[in-house]
Amino acid sequence: MKPAPFDYAAPAELTDAVTALAERPETARVLAGGQSLVLDMHYRRERPALLVDINNVRGLDVITVDGHTLRIGALARHRAFETPTVAPAALGRLLSRVSPYIAHPPVRARGTMAGSLAWANPVSEWCATAVALDAGIELTGPLGRRRVPAGDFFVGPFRTARQPAEILTSVLLPLLPGQVGVGFCEQRRTHASFAQVAAVAVLTLRDGVIAEARLGLAGAADRPVRAHDAERHLVGREAEPEVFAQAGELAAAGSDPLAEPHAGVEYRRHVVGVLVRRALAQAREDSNGNYGDEGRDRHEGREAR
Amino acid sequence: MTGRTPVRLTVNETDYDVTVEPRRLLADVLREDCNLTGTKLGCEHGVCGSCTVLVDGEGVRSCLMFAVQCAGRDIRTVEGLAAHGRLHAFQQAISTEHGLQCGFCTAGFVMLVVGALEDDPSIAEDPERLDGLLSSNLCRCTGYEGIRRAVLRAYGRNGTHEKDGAEGH
Amino acid sequence: MSDLPPTRAPVQPPVSPPPTFTHVPQGAQSWLLGRREDARLVTGAGRYVGDLKVAGCLDAAFVRSRVAHGRLLAVDTGAAAEIDGVVGVWSAADMGDELPVVPSFTPGSADEERQRPALAVDRVRYVGEPVAVIVGTDRYVAEDGADAVRVDIDPLPVLVDPGQAAASSTWLFDGVDNVADEMEFGEPVDDEVWQRAAVVVEGAYRQPRLAPTPMEPRAILAVPELDGRVTIWVSHQAPHRLQKDLATALQLDVERIRVRVPDSGGAFGSKSGTFPEYLSVVRLALRLGRPVRWIEDRAETLSGATHGRGQNQRVRIAADEDGRMLALALEVDADVGGYPIAGFVAAETGLAAAGPYLTPKVHARVRTVVTNTTPTAPYRGAGRPEQVYAVERTVDLLARRLGMDPAELRRRNFIPPEAFPYEAPTGRRYDSGQYALALDKALELVDYGYWREEQRRRRRSDTERALGIGLCSFAERSGLEQAPMAHEWASLDVTPDGRVVARIGTCSTGQSHETVFPELVAHTLGIPAQCVSLIEGDTDEVVQGIGTFGSRSMQAGGSALHQAALELIEEAKRRAVRMGCAEPDVGYADGTVSAGERSWTLGDLATASPEPLRVEGVYDNAAAFPFGTYVAVVEVDPELGNVRVLRLVAIDDCGVAVDPEIVEDQTIGAIVQGIGQALYEEMPYDNQGTPQADGLLGYLLPTIGELPPLTLDTTVTPNPNTALGAKGAGEAGCIGTPPAIVNAVIDALGQSVAGTDIGGVQLPLTPETCWRAAAGQEVGAR
Repeated sequence: MKPAPFDYAAPAELTDAVTALAERPETARVLAGGQSLVLDMHYRRERPALLVDINNVRGLDVITVDGHTLRIGALARHRAFETPTVAPAALGRLLSRVSPYIAHPPVRARGTMAGSLAWANPVSEWCATAVALDAGIELTGPLGRRRVPAGDFFVGPFRTARQPAEILTSVLLPLLPGQVGVGFCEQRRTHASFAQVAAVAVLTLRDGVIAEARLGLAGAADRPVRAHDAERHLVGREAEPEVFAQAGELAAAGSDPLAEPHAGVEYRRHVVGVLVRRALAQAREDSNGNYGDEGRDRHEGREAR
Repeated sequence: MTGRTPVRLTVNETDYDVTVEPRRLLADVLREDCNLTGTKLGCEHGVCGSCTVLVDGEGVRSCLMFAVQCAGRDIRTVEGLAAHGRLHAFQQAISTEHGLQCGFCTAGFVMLVVGALEDDPSIAEDPERLDGLLSSNLCRCTGYEGIRRAVLRAYGRNGTHEKDGAEGH
Repeated sequence: MSDLPPTRAPVQPPVSPPPTFTHVPQGAQSWLLGRREDARLVTGAGRYVGDLKVAGCLDAAFVRSRVAHGRLLAVDTGAAAEIDGVVGVWSAADMGDELPVVPSFTPGSADEERQRPALAVDRVRYVGEPVAVIVGTDRYVAEDGADAVRVDIDPLPVLVDPGQAAASSTWLFDGVDNVADEMEFGEPVDDEVWQRAAVVVEGAYRQPRLAPTPMEPRAILAVPELDGRVTIWVSHQAPHRLQKDLATALQLDVERIRVRVPDSGGAFGSKSGTFPEYLSVVRLALRLGRPVRWIEDRAETLSGATHGRGQNQRVRIAADEDGRMLALALEVDADVGGYPIAGFVAAETGLAAAGPYLTPKVHARVRTVVTNTTPTAPYRGAGRPEQVYAVERTVDLLARRLGMDPAELRRRNFIPPEAFPYEAPTGRRYDSGQYALALDKALELVDYGYWREEQRRRRRSDTERALGIGLCSFAERSGLEQAPMAHEWASLDVTPDGRVVARIGTCSTGQSHETVFPELVAHTLGIPAQCVSLIEGDTDEVVQGIGTFGSRSMQAGGSALHQAALELIEEAKRRAVRMGCAEPDVGYADGTVSAGERSWTLGDLATASPEPLRVEGVYDNAAAFPFGTYVAVVEVDPELGNVRVLRLVAIDDCGVAVDPEIVEDQTIGAIVQGIGQALYEEMPYDNQGTPQADGLLGYLLPTIGELPPLTLDTTVTPNPNTALGAKGAGEAGCIGTPPAIVNAVIDALGQSVAGTDIGGVQLPLTPETCWRAAAGQEVGAR
């Protein structure tokens, strides 16, 4: 399990990185955290002729609030999102609730959110979060910078709208007002395994009525998706368990998951429904300022011991 | 850069000048070029954690980094832990608590724990965070109980780590 | 075929250095540590095969079949041989007459019709089978070479299920069908017994294939020495058998081969074989006259090594209206994979069919069947977990059918303590047991009454998660029944300074022998433990040995050392008599022989005579039968199918525990492997015979996050056949745990799941499986 040979460049300037990549885009790969890319290189499923390491590029690791947006640089590691103070209000709560589900601390110390989006694993937590929040994906290439909405960015399993000569330089997430409620639920087999399904829920309530709903799903299709039917059903209705269950059913019905060993299509679709319902319940509690345990699955609880 | 490249690695405060292909894993260079074989390779895809070392103080998988990425960084491996003729408190504790059998995963667990707990000893007091940390690595022999007890022995209230006057508090 | 390097003379000087301890502080004295092994292991100074530095060493890599079944048409090694740093590339054709054949696991039982060459010759029979070997200057280059080899295979129909393979007209080996062996244990049960019985229950079970997954995969380093011998450094459980097998397969004198086992990164049964890759590596090291090593990686070991378990089982039990078992019939189709290398594992399942129960009629029929999958071989438990699982699930089925408490049903059927030694209808002779004692203790510790009441309370509630309690009572076997495997060689040498060097034919792969055996010898001799050292795992130092498997180390090896130490005391006393003391006056205590005023330490006696003070012998230690009862309490989230184990109580009886702490270490480790088997682990295959996991993100091991609260305790029923009284410990945990958890989950899910006699819930209990079961869907039927 050793990588095939490759050339290596580690420029200190973004323009040099873009130039290096542009010289042979079809056979070059960008190395950020490397926690998925290098793994696949060991299996020789990935055989880049050139690896452009952006870890030395200055300024890419910053996370800043820019107006109503959180701008996350390409080198911001998963670990940076472990504390709610990473972003104001509900966005910080959501990110810090999601990040503990991403692999484990040593991988979170290296892996990056931008890298997860560029990798586009259909069960990625960050990808589901990005589509739920309508993130902006900023790409820098030889022709300059462009922004792609998350909904258009993911085009299939491990496939995105990024052109081979482009580097994913920033992720832009909208800030969420404090009264917005957020929820996150994930079904996985062990602490060391990927998600089978995960659901991100963001609810804006006005007097107990849902004014806005966003649902992002991992493992519900060949790419991260929003559950649009369920969202539409929620808006204008009361934030009640029955409504959440209906939304779950709609999300399940609208999902088109891939089969994998130990998680067939039917099971995954069913889990989508359950997790959507539970994530919505969590989001309602969160909106009420109760960051309680309702809807959390066994992997979160510690009553086991 | 192509082909073999000179790199200066600083491991346990010692400089190693090695010339390596870019594709060589940090773990392989530590083991083969620096003769520091305490770091093990158990899966080469980042899951088992036997290769965990500290880079700039943080526990990372040395099978998922290339040595050429590590020039100028502070690398610590299990060989660098014991000091002044004494074992590190966690090395002592993992033995006392029978947190190892075959010993192949041990260096990885030791570096995982030392890296995280020296940064934040309060992890020992929070069972959920402690399990979150220890679930990073795999052990096939012990069933983990001894490893968990060892963390508490070294870093828990009145832990031996404090008594040894080691840093980190 | 690649050209050989210009010189075939051995290069300089490949003798491997001894382990160094540069990183071990002086302060890390072994007696301040939990175990003697630890001073080097916690400091990174341990030396596993991959850590050994030998000048000029080459790395091997294998090209493996990606096709499960097919005719091997061509292996093109041309491009690979051109790669800078590749020393040579060999297919079976290139090896020619020198291609070794893998010797049979058990002597005298070679399957001449289904031979296994070290590299596939004209047929591939499973994904992962070695097709070519590349030797290069390092592993990176060797893998580049493996990448460049082109293999042309004409696919044949693929068989992945043993039942299907047994009936198929596609044969894996030309001229012989796919049933490699058929075995029967006990007499067939008359139809009349089944017809007349008040109750008959029947269950069908599938034992998935498990990947043993020691943290260190297989590893071997072959070093041709200047004196014409070859040193084999290898991570192995049975160095003497490997030595003999290498000699046979490579047609070398046994004396030319020295097998040494340095620190070993775990085995669990999976490192007891003579693997095709080992034969190629040693052959090429000798041919090249250079050290060659092969450090297996995780991707290749998951399908290229061996798997454990892999059985289709059917169990029938007949009982009277009081629940007394009248007859038990077990049928097993054991999937032995592409080559039938270890049919004895399935034989154990048949021989053990009766379990701890006094069933008058027991019959087992076992077929071993070849399929296009990885060969199966021993994995922790090796035949016993399969038997216990099949029988204990069916006993629970019987309890439900009778409406009887499963604990009470078991208690009614146990072989009573006064019946030992007890010969079961399958011919197995059990040594001793107090099965009800272990059951009662388990029920008390788990607080059985409380959980049954809690279960009833939850069943009345609509909102709470279902709770289940599951039992497993078992009698297993440690050591082996067949001579010479029941023997073990041991020696003790007293040095002039009074130290004792113990040598033993077992071989630790993590079982703490270096700590436990010297303690045992020292304790027996009454001398400080620091005065005793241990040598094992080196065929030059240890003249013969059987090895470590089947939980035999303490039972057979420890007992041998114990007997040797008692003989050493007698020998020391004889020496005093020879020096003129009257025999009745000579006594021995605490390392000193005394007679009246005179006394000699062991060291004195060793120097007093030119004849070395030593004892050596082969000691016979019959198989023993440890037993126990495990109880699991689980909670099931029926919506997602997630199982949470709330409690796991394990009562084990392994006779006298020489070092209870080390026994407990073994038990917990085995329990967690059992949890893995129950809930997470399986190597699935698709219809094309492709294994569906090539890494540890697909093959899931339990992490600490999956660990339930464990309660361990013991009962002590000494081994009646040795003075030491120890039975084996090490495998019980993975024998008792899976049935307890599965029975608990079925208990939680209720009657709808339990009702089916054939099919039903199958391992592992993934969330999907449990969800389907909870929803009343058909699950896992074969």
